[in-house]
Amino acid sequence: MPILISGFLCSAGIADELKIEKAWIQSVPPTADATAAYMIIRNTGTQPFVLVGGSSPIAKEIQPMVTTRVKQNGNEILGMGSVDKLEIEPGATLVLKPGGNHLMLMDLLSHPKEGERVKLTIRFDPGNKAIDLDVPIYKQAP
Amino acid sequence: MSKTLSNPEAAPLTDSRRARVGWRVYLTVVAILFALLCAFLITRYTEYRKVQEKFYGQTLVPANEAFDFHMVDQEGRPFQLSQLRGKTVLFSFGFTHCPNVCPTTLAELAKVYHTVPEKDRQLVQILFVTIDPARDRADKLKEYVPYFDPSFIGLTGSADQIAQAAKAYGVSYEKQHNTGDDPDVYFMNHSAYTYLVGPDGKWRILYGFDQLNETEKVAGDVERIIHGY
Repeated sequence: MPILISGFLCSAGIADELKIEKAWIQSVPPTADATAAYMIIRNTGTQPFVLVGGSSPIAKEIQPMVTTRVKQNGNEILGMGSVDKLEIEPGATLVLKPGGNHLMLMDLLSHPKEGERVKLTIRFDPGNKAIDLDVPIYKQAP
Repeated sequence: MSKTLSNPEAAPLTDSRRARVGWRVYLTVVAILFALLCAFLITRYTEYRKVQEKFYGQTLVPANEAFDFHMVDQEGRPFQLSQLRGKTVLFSFGFTHCPNVCPTTLAELAKVYHTVPEKDRQLVQILFVTIDPARDRADKLKEYVPYFDPSFIGLTGSADQIAQAAKAYGVSYEKQHNTGDDPDVYFMNHSAYTYLVGPDGKWRILYGFDQLNETEKVAGDVERIIHGY
């Protein structure tokens, strides 16, 4: 998957330190106002990074989310919580997956279908550094 | 009475013998009851193991009549679960504003549906029941649910109807306001299980959210149910 470094905003290779794999966005019905982006982010560098959000032409807002799982009378309840950031320590891997942590694309502006690709920029602190991705749309987890 | 009086020493002996016999009877009855209880539990457990071994999902043994919920389908028509008697029904509860768990569940169920051999597929029905009836009316569900597969049916109803169905299947849900003051902007926290009801109308299997991605195994369960296990 091509990873384009976002212009000169991005100083000496954040993309060298953060490896993005298997990124995809779930296609949802035209009536849906939200979807999610999933991927694996490996921090191969020596400093911690935090995923703070992103942007895409298909959504007004993109926010890191965690899926919460609470046991209540032996019954697991899944919920969501928006977080400001998802941390990735050096050498660690952040997995964004269905039923787990994810990037929530909110107030969708368009609803691309399976087979299409969309631009997705994800941002990391320190430095609000950007990685531009060209992400496939799938109906189901590949 | 007069005998006891004429032989005062015999009375306490007889009473203690009676007491001993009483105790023995009592202990025997307790032992028999305990043995019966053990036998019952072992039989039940063996039966459960036998059924559980056949299936990938969590089986319900004994399988009881599934709660026959009354709702409204995505066309706005009255719908009740029992009208699907003869079909194997898989359903889950969710809401259409859900970005992650619900589309994943429906996408996984679509995979399961298409993994069931075509000749048996007409014997399978997949339902999506909203736990957010305030926002998910029939027209909304009609645009949402069939997207995952045209055969899928979305169900809504009154808050009471949803609450009754949720209670019967042990579903918990609650509103969660995350951002801003807009009363229409909220998520739902909810349990995300999938329920399988057999053609006989009995609730047979329960799947946790994380179990659904084993498409072949879930489809295998569906096949076994269709073929009368």
